[in-house]
Amino acid sequence: MKKVGWLVGLILVCFSFSCSHTKKEEPSTKVISTKDSSPVSTQEPVTNPYAAVDVSPMDMSYFPVDYPKLKMSHTTTIPPLARVVYSRPHLQGRKLFHGVLKYGEPWRLGANEATELQLYKSAVIQNKKIPAGRYILYCIPIENTWTIVINSNIDSWGLTQDSTKDIARFEVPVKTTSARLEFFTMIFEKTETGADLLMAWDNIETRLPFTF
Amino acid sequence: MKKIIPFIVLFQFCFFAVLAQQGSNMPALDKSPADISYYPFNYPVLKIQDKITEPLVARVIYSRPKKEGRTIFGGLVEYGKLWRMGANEATEIEFFKHVKINGKKISKGRYTLYGIVNENMWTLIVNKETDTWGSFKYDSKKDVIRIDVPVQKLTEPQESLVMFFEKSTTGINLVIAWDMVKVALPVNF
Repeated sequence: MKKVGWLVGLILVCFSFSCSHTKKEEPSTKVISTKDSSPVSTQEPVTNPYAAVDVSPMDMSYFPVDYPKLKMSHTTTIPPLARVVYSRPHLQGRKLFHGVLKYGEPWRLGANEATELQLYKSAVIQNKKIPAGRYILYCIPIENTWTIVINSNIDSWGLTQDSTKDIARFEVPVKTTSARLEFFTMIFEKTETGADLLMAWDNIETRLPFTF
Repeated sequence: MKKIIPFIVLFQFCFFAVLAQQGSNMPALDKSPADISYYPFNYPVLKIQDKITEPLVARVIYSRPKKEGRTIFGGLVEYGKLWRMGANEATEIEFFKHVKINGKKISKGRYTLYGIVNENMWTLIVNKETDTWGSFKYDSKKDVIRIDVPVQKLTEPQESLVMFFEKSTTGINLVIAWDMVKVALPVNF
């Protein structure tokens, strides 16, 4: 019986170990990549002849939160207010500062294609009106403050920014958290006057406040 | 009781190891991550390299479910039933100029893409209702165009659903491939 107990325990250890490795990604075939999207660990062989699943997979966040689900369940009839489409790089053992990012260097707030902000109606950020439309976002991080930039150079790759197409720049404070996030995360959080766009990675989070 | 102690200790260890990995109330990475494809191919890269030779025509944003050993068509995706052609949020196709599909003019704008799959033929549906989830609220009154396209067999299985645009003689094709099949949505302009 004692032996059986140890055996079951060992199986469970192996099981928990394998659980931590279930989310493997195939390497990117996109032609340009940099620290925020390059694979660090050994990857599965490429099996996809058309377009491998990206090492920094894309995701989207709506406001109202989970709008498509609300629409599906008939609990909303109004159009959405905002959405971001962004790629989600992961730390893979690195530190955000100064491992993946450096203070003062512009970052695309994601990976691969420039991170996209779609406003379905105009919004106000720090007293500045941003008309409805499609934009890209990037940031310039420093230790305690990030500059979040709304730019009109849409459908571009995020690696370089054309600052002549900046629409507005906003400075937002940075908060250090005790928990660490493996994957870069952007979500909208409802506030009294609209929503905050939360941007979080590693032990850093910052919020861009929108008033709708 | 003594015999069972190693079991309990190890079980707790495993349990906390799993908890530690979740560790946050932030949304986890999707099991079927989203991806984006443009025509011209890799347009965003061409744009920052100043290598654009033709204007932006279309893009698709879709989620990429995996085969994971399952039979997809006729199995996971039932023949004859509406399919969201992706996962999670409905698959979105945007045209940046007016195009034609099956002879019908499609105004530039954002649309949702659905499919009804069969063994040898798929019906592809372009629908006006955007920003929705899957195909659960599908309304055929909002269809813009339906087109039947033949199924082509692949020689190697395609693990993750993939969509991309390729040039054709009259415009572009949106190629959709998963498991052992692929189809093409012809878009003319």
